[in-house]
Amino acid sequence: MVKVIAQNIEMRFGERRLFAAERVQLSQGQTIHLQGDNGSGKTTLMKMLAGLVAPSKGKITTQGFAPLPWWRSNSLLGKAVYLHQHPYLFDGTVEYNLRYPHPFCTMSKQLIEQRTHDAIEKAGLSHLTKQAASSLSGGERQRLAIARAWIMQPKLLMLDEPTSNMDTYSQELVLAMVKDLQQLGTGMLVSSHQSCALTGLCDQSWRIENQTISSSLNDESCATKTSPQTSLQEPRYVIAN
Amino acid sequence: MNEGWLALIQQALGLLFSLDPDVWSIVSVSFSVSFAALAITLIPSMVLGFILAFGRFRGRWFITNMIQTLQSIPTVVIGLLVYLMLTRMGPLGDLRWLFTQKGMILGQMLICAPVLVSMSQAAFTSVDRRAWETSRTLGASWFRSIWTLCRELKVPLLLAIVAGFSRILTEIGCSMMVGGNIADVTRNIPTAIALETSKGDFAQAIALGLVLLILSLVLNFTLGTLRGKAEPRSH
Repeated sequence: MVKVIAQNIEMRFGERRLFAAERVQLSQGQTIHLQGDNGSGKTTLMKMLAGLVAPSKGKITTQGFAPLPWWRSNSLLGKAVYLHQHPYLFDGTVEYNLRYPHPFCTMSKQLIEQRTHDAIEKAGLSHLTKQAASSLSGGERQRLAIARAWIMQPKLLMLDEPTSNMDTYSQELVLAMVKDLQQLGTGMLVSSHQSCALTGLCDQSWRIENQTISSSLNDESCATKTSPQTSLQEPRYVIAN
Repeated sequence: MNEGWLALIQQALGLLFSLDPDVWSIVSVSFSVSFAALAITLIPSMVLGFILAFGRFRGRWFITNMIQTLQSIPTVVIGLLVYLMLTRMGPLGDLRWLFTQKGMILGQMLICAPVLVSMSQAAFTSVDRRAWETSRTLGASWFRSIWTLCRELKVPLLLAIVAGFSRILTEIGCSMMVGGNIADVTRNIPTAIALETSKGDFAQAIALGLVLLILSLVLNFTLGTLRGKAEPRSH
């Protein structure tokens, strides 16, 4: 099973300490709701676990990833995918954006073509494939970004406020794609301020508060299981320092 | 416009369209030297621009300011520097590049590189950080991600190339000092215009000026078209 483990980490921006934790672990098969106030470091933590940002202190290790050639030192990139709150789409058509990660996928050409075709359908983008990505609406951009990640079938996926400012239709399409990835075993970390259908898929919650990260198990939805008391009484594996 | 002017322009066009060997030899020297200088400096300058934009290391501020200073040094001063290096007693005297196209290329490289580095650094600095992060998180290698950034920044980077090329194609100080304005060897458009004008042969000077004018129009209209096609980005 694929895991990313952050040990004795501390994140600082200059003099300001964002958060610190003895051990944070995200594994395949988990779906975790990440909570915290604005500026608490949710995005930074997700980027850290996706291999995009290095911690100020501590180390990030991985388990279960395929060995890499000598020129690729970061095993997380391409396997643990981070999706921005406002996704970046490359200059070009919708199809260009969907095909961008093709050369970096290890699956067969036939399978990747099939998944691209399915992703277009699932994201409701069939009528937009030849359109410039820059002309898409906010919801369409978010659907395209998730479809792009869905094609890759990543081991781990970090979704930063994925359904913010989305209409019900877009939310449903995104939810279907996320559920699909969940069934395929993708480990997910979902940051969201509001409780929604997507956070309802989460089996655990992490909360960044007072520069520490705490964890709690979810029963039915993340929203009911995130009080600090619960997190302190029922720690699973994330212990804040 | 009087008849004298019209006659001059007619003569100039005649020289161009009749494929006058003297005129086209000058054009050929000019373009081959400037293209060579641009080709040699392009990739290293862009890489340095990228490093200065994204790197955080000691001396970055100093290098950035030095490059900006070099950008504003008159070409004749660079010409003097290259002349002193290439002269018999200079450190590169053994190369015997003085009054050759190789010497001119060296001089033009020193003029072109600061423009390319500075403008590409500005372009890379302005890029949306999410472009890099998205490319990397989707599994692109370091080099592929740089290529992606270049693609995203094609208009400002092309502007940098055009600015660098324009500067070296039209500079006169360095070419005159290092090249020596030798017919069919080192005589390029700007040195030829200066020479012909001083001799009173305005037709050839106008013909060569027209070549530069047409080139400038083509480059700017091409860039204008590219800029027009680039959609404004939204979050």
